[in-house]
Amino acid sequence: MAQAFPYTYYSCDCYDSNTNITSAKRASQQAPIADDEDERTFDPRSPRSNYSLYPLEHLLYCEDCQQIRCHRCVIEETLAWFCPACLFEVPSSLIKADGNRCIRNCFNCPVCMSTMMVNSLDDPTNPSSSGGPYILSCPYCHWSTHEIGIEFEKHTGISQQLSRVANGGRQIPTQKERDKERERLKDAEGRKKDDRDILSGSDDSPTRDRVREDIPPSQEDSFSNLSAFYKTQINAQSPASFSSHDVSFSSPASYARIMNLYSTSSTKKQKREKPVPMREASGVFEGLTIFDPATDAATIERIKKEGWSTTLAPAQKLAQINPNIRFESELRPIPSILCTKRGKRCRSCRHILAKPEAKITSTRYKIKLLALNHIPRLSLRALSTPTSQISASGPSASAPAFDYNALRPGIPTHFLLHLSNPLFDPVRVTLATSSTTPGKVQSRVTILCPQFEVGANTDVWDDALQSSLSPVKRTPALNADGQIEAGKIWDRGRNWTSVVIEVVPGFLKPVTTGFSLGGDDGKKKEDEELDEDEDLLEIPIFVRLEFEADMVEQERGIGDPKRSVEGQREKREEAFWAVVGVGRVAPT
Amino acid sequence: MSAQLTPHTSASAPDRRTSTIQKRTSMLPRPASIVLDDSVLIAQHAQLTGSYPITAGPNTVLHPHSKISSVMAPVVLGEGVVIYERARIGVASGGDAGGMMMAESASGGRADGTVLGRNVVVETNAVVEAAEVGEGSTVEVGALVGRGCVIGKYCTITAAVVLAPNTHIPDYTVVFAGSQQRIDRTLKDRPEAQLLKTMMHRKQLDIFKKLVPNNAAKWRMG
Repeated sequence: MAQAFPYTYYSCDCYDSNTNITSAKRASQQAPIADDEDERTFDPRSPRSNYSLYPLEHLLYCEDCQQIRCHRCVIEETLAWFCPACLFEVPSSLIKADGNRCIRNCFNCPVCMSTMMVNSLDDPTNPSSSGGPYILSCPYCHWSTHEIGIEFEKHTGISQQLSRVANGGRQIPTQKERDKERERLKDAEGRKKDDRDILSGSDDSPTRDRVREDIPPSQEDSFSNLSAFYKTQINAQSPASFSSHDVSFSSPASYARIMNLYSTSSTKKQKREKPVPMREASGVFEGLTIFDPATDAATIERIKKEGWSTTLAPAQKLAQINPNIRFESELRPIPSILCTKRGKRCRSCRHILAKPEAKITSTRYKIKLLALNHIPRLSLRALSTPTSQISASGPSASAPAFDYNALRPGIPTHFLLHLSNPLFDPVRVTLATSSTTPGKVQSRVTILCPQFEVGANTDVWDDALQSSLSPVKRTPALNADGQIEAGKIWDRGRNWTSVVIEVVPGFLKPVTTGFSLGGDDGKKKEDEELDEDEDLLEIPIFVRLEFEADMVEQERGIGDPKRSVEGQREKREEAFWAVVGVGRVAPT
Repeated sequence: MSAQLTPHTSASAPDRRTSTIQKRTSMLPRPASIVLDDSVLIAQHAQLTGSYPITAGPNTVLHPHSKISSVMAPVVLGEGVVIYERARIGVASGGDAGGMMMAESASGGRADGTVLGRNVVVETNAVVEAAEVGEGSTVEVGALVGRGCVIGKYCTITAAVVLAPNTHIPDYTVVFAGSQQRIDRTLKDRPEAQLLKTMMHRKQLDIFKKLVPNNAAKWRMG
């Protein structure tokens, strides 16, 4: 983690919330749940804890569950779809129908993926009435639809015009025209097969059909053939798909269907036909494309002739809608992909944690339940010890800055842990940590004042008005000799308190293995060489908060809905693990 | 519109040069000859330095804090050239010894000298040390065109691109995304596009003439 020292990470409990559930199901696979969760000390080094530690700014807080929620224990739901180029909001019904791309004039350049503009290729000396032919051009790499031979008559409705024109200016038939063509060609095929023996040469429009046979159908033709084929298959499969409201006996077919349904209990079972299984496409008119090695040979010849630079880069090819193109001349402008505005919900109770405003262009949030506003913030900084303070009081201006990257092992160093309370009630905090940090480098940690109070986050003016008491001694922990006393806080403010932690960083190498014997060289080296980040000094701290808050109205009981619950305080308790990264231990 | 004079009118006039050692570029004496057309627009704080001649064609616009340096070789700006703020044209004295540079330029690349063709636009913070930039080309923001480069006409060097010395860019090329190049066929095939570009450029020149106060008189005298 490339964070500057010192840092604080908070642990979200979601990483092992499933162990209890799964173990109940399968007794044979009892996962060894070692200790009770409270007794187990948090090891920031374990791979599992890697997934649960987050800075405070990354965490949300669910008020119903009264727990920290990280980004993995929230559910995201999309609230709105919009195009990043034109900022037009697309209703979700249109998303289901048309897909997740912009259907207005927003296109991305196929070469460099930047947003394209509509430009007019008007002759300035001889301007035409409609503004001349229009092209889509990329302002960055200067690619334009002129390079694939497409020009538009008007500057709006580009996507519609684009869908009608193929590269080079050919027309693309619409859906209806395609259906008609398909029917016509299928009939022609059928008739040709029937008439084979009779040798009748009277085909309708022979030249058009013969030309069509040679060219393999384009991607769009194949797609439309295939989708029409699947539609007919689905319709053939599903039996009597009639809705209950149009039970009309108008046609004998529907009557037969209804009677069939109502009387299929026992008698007609044998008579019922076996349902025909769905089959796959079996011909060109059904969308089947058969691989022809001649196309590959043609492609290779083309590359030989035109050069490598006319082929597409992998990124350009993947961004295209048609996956089978290879050359620059086959590129098409890419409709912009839509972006979403999402809200977050708690995974267990579905309470909304974050909800952005409905307006697309505003970045604010209507609801924002942050952990910052519910969990006290811990931060650490080095505290120069009183003895060193006195000695350095002479040349005090040139006191060296504390180097968090070079903690001196074996020397007790004092740090100041600062807790600031965001709640509107005073909090009693209990801190706990194991006496030595886990891992190879064992440092001894002592919290000199494990229990203390932190004030409420009231207004500054309220505080100034109320505090008429004699001011607390500035640093109660420092006694007369200048030694730091245990059991007393260091300093306190309106909504924060700081306490002293004493850390003795451990030694990177055990002191005794200065002399390595010949035979055990390999093993000793393994022990001596520390893994990466073993010299990182991280202190896991268990924080427990107790405070009184206004009672939350949980349920409207049948008892007394009008009973006033204001003024009734309930005692609340919260606890979480936090990991404070102090620094790196310097090798001696 | 303060009447601030840049240092080298008073401190570094030829008769006041204190030593022959070359100091910072801005302290160099004024160029041997500056040939400015009558319609050239030079803004305040533009710097023209160096000992070789600097020539500027008609309708050239130099924005404030642009630097033309003819320390190594003469600089010629064609008609309608626009140099934006903090752009640097011409090879300034680099860190190398003079002798090494002479050897380099003799071995490869073109002879020294920077020539910008007609209607070339050099945008903010760009550095053009090239030998030649063809007409209608644009060097966009922050680009670096190395020494001895030859750039064709109607090219575009997009923002922050670095061109190695002695690169040859053919006509109508767009250099983008670091090192990729492609031919801008739209501009090549359609003369309307070129016409449109020229017209827009002319409009820009008119607007500059209206908005930017002209300090060219300072460079014309002496």
